[in-house]
Amino acid sequence: MLLAFGNFTADPSVNLQLLIGGLALGAIYAVVALGFVLVYKSTDVLNLAHGEFLMLGAYFALTFLISENLNFFLGVFVLLLVMLVFGLLVHYGIMRRMVGQGFFAIVLITLGIATIIRALLLIFYGPTERARLDLLPQGSFEVGGATVRHVDLIIFAVVAACVLLFFLFFKYTRLGLHMRAVADDIEAAAAMGIDPDKVYAMTWAAAMVMAGVGGLLFGHVTGAIDRSIEAIGLRAFPAAVVGGLTSLGGSIVGGLVVGVIEQFANGHLGTKWREPVAFSVMFVVLLVRPTGLWGRKDLERV
Amino acid sequence: MTATENPATQQASNTYRPSTLQRFLPFVIAAVVPFILGATTNDLNFWWKAAITVAILALVARLAWRWTPRGELTHREDMRLWRTPSDRSWAALTMFGLLVLPFILASDFTPPMDFPWATWFAVVNLVLIFAMGAAAFNLLVGYSGQISLAHVAFLALGSIVGGIVGVQWSGGNMWLALPAAALAGAVVGAISGLPALRLKHLYLLLATFGFHFVMMLVWREYLQEYFGFVGIRFKGVNSPRIASWLHWLPGIDPDENGEFIITGQFRWYWVLMPITVLSILFMVNVIRTREGRAFAAVRDRDVSASLLGINVARSKLMAFALSSAVVAMSGVLASFYIGSRGEDSFNVQTVLNYAIIIVVGGFSSIQGAIFGSAFFWFLPEWFKWAREELWFVRDIDFLSDYPSEIDLAIKGFLVVIILMFKPDGLAGLWRDFKNWLGRSLARRKP
Repeated sequence: MLLAFGNFTADPSVNLQLLIGGLALGAIYAVVALGFVLVYKSTDVLNLAHGEFLMLGAYFALTFLISENLNFFLGVFVLLLVMLVFGLLVHYGIMRRMVGQGFFAIVLITLGIATIIRALLLIFYGPTERARLDLLPQGSFEVGGATVRHVDLIIFAVVAACVLLFFLFFKYTRLGLHMRAVADDIEAAAAMGIDPDKVYAMTWAAAMVMAGVGGLLFGHVTGAIDRSIEAIGLRAFPAAVVGGLTSLGGSIVGGLVVGVIEQFANGHLGTKWREPVAFSVMFVVLLVRPTGLWGRKDLERV
Repeated sequence: MTATENPATQQASNTYRPSTLQRFLPFVIAAVVPFILGATTNDLNFWWKAAITVAILALVARLAWRWTPRGELTHREDMRLWRTPSDRSWAALTMFGLLVLPFILASDFTPPMDFPWATWFAVVNLVLIFAMGAAAFNLLVGYSGQISLAHVAFLALGSIVGGIVGVQWSGGNMWLALPAAALAGAVVGAISGLPALRLKHLYLLLATFGFHFVMMLVWREYLQEYFGFVGIRFKGVNSPRIASWLHWLPGIDPDENGEFIITGQFRWYWVLMPITVLSILFMVNVIRTREGRAFAAVRDRDVSASLLGINVARSKLMAFALSSAVVAMSGVLASFYIGSRGEDSFNVQTVLNYAIIIVVGGFSSIQGAIFGSAFFWFLPEWFKWAREELWFVRDIDFLSDYPSEIDLAIKGFLVVIILMFKPDGLAGLWRDFKNWLGRSLARRKP
């Protein structure tokens, strides 16, 4: 059946290359999905602005690392600090007032934030596209006839480290415990003396920092840095859903699975099939197992 | 309790019933007078026309207000669409305004300070098309509570049906494409609503968004198969026209080829306005029926709704089918009005635009969709005018350097501010204004 669609080939090196490309794409999806998961897990907000957050991170990386020409580590530190401040701003300025509002109103307000960020980036950085970042090692090596870029390996390592870090954070620190408590039952947590406001603020800050990391990494693999890179936020939805919107580890697995599937669809069926195939996979997962592979199941009482 | 304290008898004492003629007369005036004005006032000064129009507006509103049933209403009277004096006045005013508007916009009046008169007609027509689509979207998302991001997919479906039925089969027969699109929209809408039977809220949103991408694939494939790069042209030979057996109608004068082509803002207005008004009235009426109340019951709590004897699955699919049918029709209208549709006519930004419209206008009210789309299209026009003409804005280089970006930023800030401080949007502001007006009028009377 698949043969009828396109240039399906049995050449192992092509498929290996597609697999490696898929894993690299999946690592990026995992970074983005991790941002979704962080916010959704503790605040129950689906952040449709995450793609724009990531774009903000990429443009700030341009400013601090290329234009200002800071030392790499200092630049990354400043970048993440600025993103953290923006995260606090998003919470204390906007999201704080939306607690307890209807689900769709909150989704729409994230769309509003997305629109603002996009407009302001256009105003301050202009519509001209910039060359992608080149601060991480640019080389590559061959494995069985397929090319592996160093950047992809680094992205992979960073994502794994982030997931591990967040996992340890949630498991072993006091703030992590508070976050889990608030995610579980905000009223009970508040009654136990946890300040949900502070927890939400930290969540948004963490998501923004994650978007900063994502922007920095994605800025290295995208074709060019322009306003179209926000689309990665939407394209990473299937990854987040397949892995489960409340599971940190799920985001990495979901990212890799969707990345590989997308890359194979891209290679064998054509570019136009990339998004429909990814979203169809998401659709099937939603129908069969709405909480994803490892998501938390919510009981609903009437 | 004595007989005089019985509220029923007290109300009955000031009961008022207009005669049938009185009930309909304000609306008849509102329907007829604009055409008389349009036909007879050609040689009058603009300001005279404006004065006459305002005087008749006031008269129509006053009569509609006066001749309203008062006192104890029967159930039938209580269920009327326009029940209170205020409702009836606003309805008559709106009717008069909609009919007189094209004559005003078509007049060669030049307002002071180069206020953009000529471009407003196009904006009004776009507002009509978008109000129809946004009202249908609001019926589904706001009123029925079925979160969907797939409505741009149905605009695309409308363009596909317009392309197949209206262009490929019949060479510009929009009248055939409209019902075909409604039918296709209803069927495909019901299919796209199937996930709603199992999913809710966030997951439903994601599933419908998946449907959006699938439909975009279908759209691109269809374009490439039959039309190639340039996209579908709904203009020129494919323009919609009035059939020759209708040429006897007043106001229709065929050109030298014996055809009456719908082109230009004035003619398009008379096509778009009735269709939009009828479909919005249709949706308002759906809300008042049992089916519409079932939508609201399912939105509030589907389990309780099913205990009340509502078929939840049917109700959800019905909401999807209705909304999608109207959106697909607005897709056909938009295609023929704008004149061409290409690969990038539909994208995620279009989804955002509709979301902006219903948020700014007011969530979950049909009225809000109209306010929202009017605001959405007039804002850039006002802004452009202010940038070019207002002396204290003209000097700010920053604003004229980034016009469209600043429009976008304003819209984004508005969405955020409205959702934070005034969740019922412009429709809520309008309601507040009417309440304030009613209170201050009531206070004046002894």
